[in-house]
Amino acid sequence: MNNQNQILGVFDDPDVVTDAVSELVKNNIRIKDVYSPFPLEHVWELLKMKTRLPYATFLYGAFGTASVFAFLYWTSVINYPLIFGGKPTNSLSFVVIMFVLTILSGVIFTLGTYLVREKMWPGKKVELPDNGSMDDKFVIVIEKDKNMDESAVNNINELLKKSGAIEVK
Amino acid sequence: MYNIKVRGVLIQGNKSYHDITRDITNPLLSKTTPLWWWISAFLASVMLAWGVWGFYNTIVVGIGTWGLNNSVSWGWAIINFVWWIGIGHAGTAFSIFLLVLHQKWRTSINRAAEAMTIFAVMAAGMFPLIHMGRIWNGFFIFPYPNTRGPLWDNFNSPLFWDVTAISTYLTASFLFWYVGMMPDFATIRERTTSKIKKKIYGILSFGWLGNARGWLRFESAALLMGGLTAPLVISVHSIVATDFAAGIVPGWHSTIFPPFFVVGAIFSGFSMVLTMMIIVRKVYKFEEYVTQSHLDAITRILTFVSLIMGVAYISEIFIAWYSDSPYEMFVFFHNRASGEYAFEYWAMILFNAIIPQLFWFKKIRKNVAIVFIISILINVGMWYERFVIVVTSLSKTFLPSTWHNYYPTATEVAIYVGTIGFFILGVLLFLRFLPIMAVSELKGINKETSIVTEKPENHE
Repeated sequence: MNNQNQILGVFDDPDVVTDAVSELVKNNIRIKDVYSPFPLEHVWELLKMKTRLPYATFLYGAFGTASVFAFLYWTSVINYPLIFGGKPTNSLSFVVIMFVLTILSGVIFTLGTYLVREKMWPGKKVELPDNGSMDDKFVIVIEKDKNMDESAVNNINELLKKSGAIEVK
Repeated sequence: MYNIKVRGVLIQGNKSYHDITRDITNPLLSKTTPLWWWISAFLASVMLAWGVWGFYNTIVVGIGTWGLNNSVSWGWAIINFVWWIGIGHAGTAFSIFLLVLHQKWRTSINRAAEAMTIFAVMAAGMFPLIHMGRIWNGFFIFPYPNTRGPLWDNFNSPLFWDVTAISTYLTASFLFWYVGMMPDFATIRERTTSKIKKKIYGILSFGWLGNARGWLRFESAALLMGGLTAPLVISVHSIVATDFAAGIVPGWHSTIFPPFFVVGAIFSGFSMVLTMMIIVRKVYKFEEYVTQSHLDAITRILTFVSLIMGVAYISEIFIAWYSDSPYEMFVFFHNRASGEYAFEYWAMILFNAIIPQLFWFKKIRKNVAIVFIISILINVGMWYERFVIVVTSLSKTFLPSTWHNYYPTATEVAIYVGTIGFFILGVLLFLRFLPIMAVSELKGINKETSIVTEKPENHE
């Protein structure tokens, strides 16, 4: 995927790449993405990335609780009110199943949302800017703008090298 | 800028990131399968085959092939079910509890512990299935609109909660385990030279990229899924405990049961992790990843949990005496501490409460052979615990004319041995074809915890 429209800065140290990202951000250079073999939390902060996944999970959990209670109430109170030992049909012990299935719906739907948002599916074909990012390299990808002239590109290349990139391509 | 407290060296040998990729993925990328693998797989298959015979015998002939009787209606099947569920608690306990407690040493063990969980819970699930007798009617347990009324399940029954809790636990643990492996599948996809492996691991990796936004969402999703699964560790075994505690049987009808079962589950789960990791680190020469300090940490946890077990045993005896109930007194003093099941009872006390206390001594914690033996003894002790709970209570209840002893038959033994074979085979397949340790997580803790780094000048 290393076409002419991108500048790749390859690093081999997580701290160095984080400093490089902060340097680039300071110089108002738009970073398209950073590829790394493991999560770099400071990079998310520097690139101001956020995720709303927790809110979605909360909704899924609430949906799970409500729908399971509705089902239990319908089956045990409305559809077939069978009395066990004189106990009320609308029982407090529904809590146990509600608790467990709330967790189940939270887990399954969170995973589903994650896969949808990331557009991931089994067997999806991908090309990495640099294979090394799955092993021991950290790659900063900067998209070349149409109105970026030679000197601007050189400037970015210089900046990447100065920040400790082992390779710029 | 990146100040992180250093606990000590978690990965020894001053590994580079590439070394970690190489060490963990090489065994599964290698074309040759080692001889020990084939031998163990063969033995496990023989065990499994015997278990299949036990299953066949039970389904074709019926539950009459077991040693159960009207008094002891729950025998080895329930003992083994609870035993396996207990072992199945290790994965989540390792992954989530230690994650929440910021215990980074979990990293080189959690993947294997989670795999163990999956296979142990699957092995456990076989027992209720086969115990139904008419396994082909097993789907009656699911609440679906049926032509029998519709007649719904009894949603207030601990047995139904059990089905819900265990299937949820299995699903959630499996998904969490799988999601955690996606980045590692991608690493293998990029590293392998074999076209077939590239294709298979490519499909399994779901097109993982490892970009910043992907990692952010991945971490968030993994934390949410893990955090949601964590309470299940408590709830699953509490619910299993209510299977017993809700019954008015002396020795079972006790409020101590849910916490007692949860602690017991963590106890047996951690000791099974210890057993497995000692073998894995020896066979794969992973002593630099699963270090002496890892084993030390697990043994310390076991010492503490063993103390809780001891207190639970003592308080059970105390409450039996304090309750002044003749039936409770009889169960604990005449049917457990003495009588024909005294051996099992004292073996339970010895293996669970007394022997693990040897871990107080540093010399014993440092001796891998002794640690290995104790870890196995703990699981034997935990099996005896379930035997004591199930059989002693049921064999002699309120009415002396119903008293009946219980001895397992070959069919029951076969099913138990079969599940052990299934478990070993599952773990072997995991060791051969999946990344044994979380490669990306290991890389994440490599720098934080190694005292010597390659480029010290880069630290601020």
